[in-house]
Amino acid sequence: MITLIIALLVGAALFGIGLYGVLSQTNLVMIMMGVELMLGAALVNLVAFWRFLHPGAYSGQMFFLIIMVVMALEMVVGFGMALARFRAKGSVEMEEAVELKG
Amino acid sequence: MAGLSALAILAILGPLVAIGLILLLRSPRWSPYLALVGAVAGLCGALLGLWAKAGDAIPGTLVLPGLPNLPLRLIISPTTSLLSTVVAMVSFLVMLYAVGYMQEEAALPRFFAEMSLFVAAMQLLVLAGDWLLIIVGWELIALASYLLIGFWYERPGVRQAATRAFLTTRAADFGLYIGVFALVSQTQTSEIAPTLEVSGTAATVAGLGFLLAAIGKSAQIPLQGWLQDAMAGPTPVSALLHSATLVAAGPILLLRVYPVLNGSVLIIIGIVGGVTALLTGLTALAQVDLKRMLAASTSSQLGFMLLALGAGSPGAALLHLVFHAAMKSSLFLGAGIFQHKYHSTNFSEIAAKGGGRAYPPVYLCFVIAGLALAGVPPLAGFWSKDAIIAATFASAQAWLFTPLVLLGTLLTGSYVGRALRLLWPKPESISREVNANKSAVSGWMLTGLVSLTGLATTSGLLVKPIGQLVGQEIPENGLALVLGLAVALVGLLVGWFELIGSFWQRLAQGNFRLDDWLKVLLVQPVLLLARVVSRADGWLHSGVLGVGRTGLNMARRVAGFDSRLHGAVVLTGRAGLDLARLSRQTDERGIDRLIAWMVRNIRLLGGRVRELPSGLVHQELLLTAAAVILLLGLILISR
Repeated sequence: MITLIIALLVGAALFGIGLYGVLSQTNLVMIMMGVELMLGAALVNLVAFWRFLHPGAYSGQMFFLIIMVVMALEMVVGFGMALARFRAKGSVEMEEAVELKG
Repeated sequence: MAGLSALAILAILGPLVAIGLILLLRSPRWSPYLALVGAVAGLCGALLGLWAKAGDAIPGTLVLPGLPNLPLRLIISPTTSLLSTVVAMVSFLVMLYAVGYMQEEAALPRFFAEMSLFVAAMQLLVLAGDWLLIIVGWELIALASYLLIGFWYERPGVRQAATRAFLTTRAADFGLYIGVFALVSQTQTSEIAPTLEVSGTAATVAGLGFLLAAIGKSAQIPLQGWLQDAMAGPTPVSALLHSATLVAAGPILLLRVYPVLNGSVLIIIGIVGGVTALLTGLTALAQVDLKRMLAASTSSQLGFMLLALGAGSPGAALLHLVFHAAMKSSLFLGAGIFQHKYHSTNFSEIAAKGGGRAYPPVYLCFVIAGLALAGVPPLAGFWSKDAIIAATFASAQAWLFTPLVLLGTLLTGSYVGRALRLLWPKPESISREVNANKSAVSGWMLTGLVSLTGLATTSGLLVKPIGQLVGQEIPENGLALVLGLAVALVGLLVGWFELIGSFWQRLAQGNFRLDDWLKVLLVQPVLLLARVVSRADGWLHSGVLGVGRTGLNMARRVAGFDSRLHGAVVLTGRAGLDLARLSRQTDERGIDRLIAWMVRNIRLLGGRVRELPSGLVHQELLLTAAAVILLLGLILISR
């Protein structure tokens, strides 16, 4: 029986890895994967809190599903953008994307 | 004959046209002749009217266009045409006399215009068939008499006399208005004939009103004083005023309204007339002035007429009125010649300067007229006085009226006798030097005097025709004839030998102090009232003034406040303007600069900040992470 603290530790580790990935990678796809990891950490935390503190309420599960949908949408938009970038420039390296500065 | 009787209007129109021409030409030379022509035309008109109406019982009515629904009517009956003839005749002869008398006067046009106005107004009054015209004529003769008595307005006392005459008669005119009102309000018409059928209380009130008017106009007791003052006017005026015009209006009015007068009013009229005849007879006896004596005598003779009316014999009154007109005017014309020659009407002065001895023809006329007045046959006064005495015999109040009339006749004889005696001084008492400068009497004056005296002498023959003409019975009585003659003769003797004691003279000279009573009873209250009214007026005046002044002060104060308010408003406005200017300056210098400064700085800051984002995704994510950590730190600290 894993306890709440272990779940939270797993969530924090996931978040740290995600953050690191976001900050260290320059490839757009890799950055988005870091973001996915951070969102996954948030989901782990959410589920852990629901499972150990309020197992009778459904709102935790609903919240989880909504975040899953948001993650999927984010992926769609992010990969759409990456595909468009790739077709236009032939690269998804963010070091080169200085024209994003307005 | 209606056409002919309509010509009677000439009696009014003649003098009226003369006035117009006189006033138009204003010629001192022609105005006497114009007035004479007017008088002749009037006389012709009156005579034509009389001739047309002789023996015609139905009175002719002449409707003049008057007000809408109120035509003015003239009535030409035997009585009115007879009176009109008397007025026209006497006024013509007096006018003739006046041409001579007034020769040396300056204001001839004024004099003759006023005389003509007097005659025209009297004719209007005599012929009026309408109360409106009666009132108009009545007022006009008052006006004309005022103007004529005051003709010599520059002489001392003349204006007072004119004003007194005017005010006294006007005050009594109140009675006329009461009477007319009483009659007209009963019958709803202003025509005279229907109003005379009124009876009862209204008739009594009207009768007393008319009596009051007659007392004032004819100088009866107690309003007799003005007539003697009226002597201030020229003698032709006095002659006219005393015989046919002004004073005759009283008896004429009472004759016209005789059917309305009921028994009790008649008794009062008789008593007033009798007492006047007696008292003013005594006054006449005591006068030291020829004209004033004649004036008192006029009051007395008019008293006889009222007495005759009161005794129920209008015929006798009318007869005496007609005869008296001739007698009294000739007496006045005689007196006027003495006045003209001696410049005085005082008995003693006339006597001292020669009296009747200097002018025997004039004195003769005076004697004839005087004897006629006293009632010596066969002169006019004998017949009329006899008629009056006979009327009192027949009256129900014979015990009262007969002694009065007999005493009056005695007094008439006495004052006539005394006057004749005083005017015929003893030769040794005449001062020689005055006697030397006597001049001939003017032909005009002598003609007028002799003609009138002739009328006074011969009109006794007309007693019967007059009685038939007016359809009135003239009373006759053998005993009255004898008694009247005897009393008159006794009176003449008494007067001639001056058998009257000095006590009576003194008492009578002062008008029996009646004027004083009048003063106490009437004049003083009126003056007091006037003073009170004047004082009240003063109060009112000062009150109004005070209100006005208060209003002014208030207005001034409001104006001051207003100007102060105005100043305040101006000040406020100026302050507002200053504030606006200050705010503008603050706006321009302070706020605008502040804003400009802030804008500059923010722009600068913005520029710096803009340099921060690189546009590189990982760097921006780093910034984001840093910001999140900063936020977390802040949250932890703020716990």
